[in-house]
Amino acid sequence: MFTRKNKNLAMGAAVLMASVSMGVQTVSAEDITITYSDWQLAQEGWGNSLRTAIAEFEELNPGITVATEPVQLGQRDVRFTTAIRAGQGPDVFALDANPVRQYISAGWVLDLTPFAEAQDPAFFDDFYETSLAPVTVDGAVYGVPMNTVAMGLVYNQAMFEAAGITEPATSWEEFSAHAEALTDTSAGQWATTLVLAPAGFDLRAPSIFHSFGASFLTEDWSASALDTPEMQAAFSYVVDMIQSGVVPPGVTQVDANGARRLLANGQIAMTIGTTWTIPEVSTMNPDLDGWNTLRIAPLPTDGGQEISPHTTLYQKSIFINANTEHPEASWALVDFLTQRAQMERWFDDNNMLSSRRSVNESYGPIQESPFASVVSEEIQHGTFLPLIPEWPRILDSFRQNLQDAVTGTKTAEQALADAHAETNEILGN
Amino acid sequence: MIGERWTAYWFVLPGTFLLLAILGFPAIASIVDSFGSVGSGGFGSAYLALLSDQRFLTASFNTALFVVCVVTLHIILGLAVALLLNADIPFKWFFRVVALLPWTVPDVIGGLIFRFMLDPLSGGVNAIAFRLQLMQGPYDWLGDPGWAMFSVIMAETWRGYPYPMLILLAGLQAIPKEQYEAAAIDGAGRWAIFTNVTLPNLMPMVLIAVVLDAIWQCRLFGMIFGMTNGGPGDATQNLSLFVYRQYFQFFETTYAASAAVVLAAVLLAVAIPYIRSTLREKS
Repeated sequence: MFTRKNKNLAMGAAVLMASVSMGVQTVSAEDITITYSDWQLAQEGWGNSLRTAIAEFEELNPGITVATEPVQLGQRDVRFTTAIRAGQGPDVFALDANPVRQYISAGWVLDLTPFAEAQDPAFFDDFYETSLAPVTVDGAVYGVPMNTVAMGLVYNQAMFEAAGITEPATSWEEFSAHAEALTDTSAGQWATTLVLAPAGFDLRAPSIFHSFGASFLTEDWSASALDTPEMQAAFSYVVDMIQSGVVPPGVTQVDANGARRLLANGQIAMTIGTTWTIPEVSTMNPDLDGWNTLRIAPLPTDGGQEISPHTTLYQKSIFINANTEHPEASWALVDFLTQRAQMERWFDDNNMLSSRRSVNESYGPIQESPFASVVSEEIQHGTFLPLIPEWPRILDSFRQNLQDAVTGTKTAEQALADAHAETNEILGN
Repeated sequence: MIGERWTAYWFVLPGTFLLLAILGFPAIASIVDSFGSVGSGGFGSAYLALLSDQRFLTASFNTALFVVCVVTLHIILGLAVALLLNADIPFKWFFRVVALLPWTVPDVIGGLIFRFMLDPLSGGVNAIAFRLQLMQGPYDWLGDPGWAMFSVIMAETWRGYPYPMLILLAGLQAIPKEQYEAAAIDGAGRWAIFTNVTLPNLMPMVLIAVVLDAIWQCRLFGMIFGMTNGGPGDATQNLSLFVYRQYFQFFETTYAASAAVVLAAVLLAVAIPYIRSTLREKS
C-alpha cells in the first residue's frame, strides 16, 4: 500500500518523467510572476482550457507563477498597445494574424528565433509554412503559432432537409437557389447572414471574395486589386444577395457572435464559420444539438470551379512582450502552450485545429471528426489577409464602402470604386 | 510685502506642477506627435492629409450636425423640464430624481440599451410598431443612414438633457422673486413674464449650458460606439470615433494626434465665449 508520502513521491516522479518524455522545458528560477493575456481567457470554454494548461505549467515550473489577464477581443489592441507603449503590458500574450505586422514593425514583441534555436534547431519544422508566414519577418520568427483554421460554410442539416436540399452548394449560383428555398420570412427564417460589423468581418466576408478568385491587393501588396472583374463580380453578388431579402434585417450590425446567435436560434440556416462555430453555437442553444445538427462544408466558388486560395485563414499565435523582465520564463510558457500535448487538448476541449502539422495529420480524434477533417483540408486552400501595417485601415475602408452599398448610400460600382481609390491612397499610390 | 507675495506662489507651485504634468504633458506630446510625417510626407503632412481625407471630412460634418441637433434639443428639453421642476408641485424632489436618472446611465451603456431597443428582430421599438400595425415587417433603424443618425441624436438627447437642465434650473432659482411680482402687478401674462423676465435673466446660464454641452457632445464617444460603431458605413462616425480608430485600430498615431489636435482647437474656439463671459464676470 502507498503511504501519502510515497504517493507524493510517485506523483512527483511521474510529473518529472512526463516532462522529460514530452520534451518540456522547465525553468529553475527564483520565484517570479509573469502575466499572460488572451482574449480567449474571457470566454468560458476556451478560458477553462487555458487555465488548466497554465496550472499544469506552474506545476512543472515551481518557480514561476502565471497571472492571467483576460481581455475582450474588441479591447485587446487598445489595452496591449497602450500598455506596451508605456513600457508595461503582459509578458506573454496572444494575437490573431491581423495586427501582427504592426506589433513587429513597432518593436513591441521579441524575436523568438534565438530561444527556439537554443532549445531545438528544428523547433519550427513541425509548423505549417503557411502558419509561420504571418509571424516571420526577414527570417526572424516573432511568435509561435498555436491554432490555424480555415473558414468554411457551417450549415444546419435539419433545415436543409426540411427545405429539400440534400447537399450544400458548390457554386454561388447554387447557393442563391438554396438561399431562396431556405428563406421563409413569415416564419422568421432566413437563409444566411453576413458579418458586416468590425468584429469578425476580417475572416468571413473576405472569404467570399477569395472564393470568386478575387484579391484585395496585388501580389506584392503594393496596390489595390479591387478593380478586377473577379472582385466586381463578387462585390455585386454580395450586395445583391443581401438586398434580395435572404438575410435578416440588421445585417450591418451583425458581428461574429451575432451570426452564431442567429444560427443557434434557428433564424438562419447557414453562415461562414469554422470548427469553433460548432461548440460556440451548441453552448448558445443546447436544444439545437449542434454537434449532430450542424455540418461544415467548403465554401462555394464562382461557377463551382476549383479556385485556390478560396478561403481565409485564421491563426492565433503567442508572443513575448519586448518589455518583459523575464524572457526565459516567458519563453517557457510560450513553448508549453504550443506543444503537441496542449494542441491535442485544445482540439478535445474546443474543436480547434493546431498549427502543428503532426497534430492535425496524426491525432485520432481530428482524423475522425467530420468537422476537423473538412477544415484541415481547407487550410491548404486558404490564405491570410495581406500582412502589411496598412491592412487594418484598408479593410475598414472596404467594410465601410460595402456597408454603403448594402444600405443604398452608394451603388455597388461606386462603393467598390471608392474602396479602390481609398486603398491606393492609403498605400501611398 | 514682497516676501509674503512670493509665499503665495510657493503654495500654488505643487498644484501647478501637477496640473502641467497631468494636462500639459499629454497635450504637448500630442501636438508634437501631430506634426510628424505621414507616409512619404514631411513635417506637418498629417494635417494636409486630413484635408483631403473624405472620412475625416464626413466625421467633421457628422460631429457638427450631431452637436447642433443634440445641444438644441437639450436646451429646449432641459428648459422645459427645468421650468416644470421649478414650479410649486407636490413631490417635487421625486420628480427631480426621476428627471436626473438618464444622466446616471454611462454613455456606452446608453448606446447599448438603444441598440437593443432598435434591434430589427428582437427590439422593443419594432415590436410596438408592429403591434400598433404601423409597419408590415421588421425595420432596420440602425441600418438606414438617416434613421441611424436620427436615432443616435434622440438617444443622446434622452441621456444627456439633465446636465443643461440642472444648469438652467439653478439659473431659474437665482432669478429674484421681486421681478416676477413686479411683472404680475404690471398685469403681464405668463408668456410675457417668460419672455421679459425669465429668458433675459436666464441667458447667461443658457450660454454656459450651450458651451459646456457643445464641448461635451463634440467629445462624445461611448454612446455612438455602443450604438452604431459609426455605421452604417461612416454615417454616424464622429471625430472622437475617427481618432479612436486611427489610434487603436490602425495604429496611425501621428494621424490620430493631428485629428485630435484639430478637435481640441475647435473645442477651444467653442469655449472662448464661456471663458470670456467668466473673465468679464470676475473683472
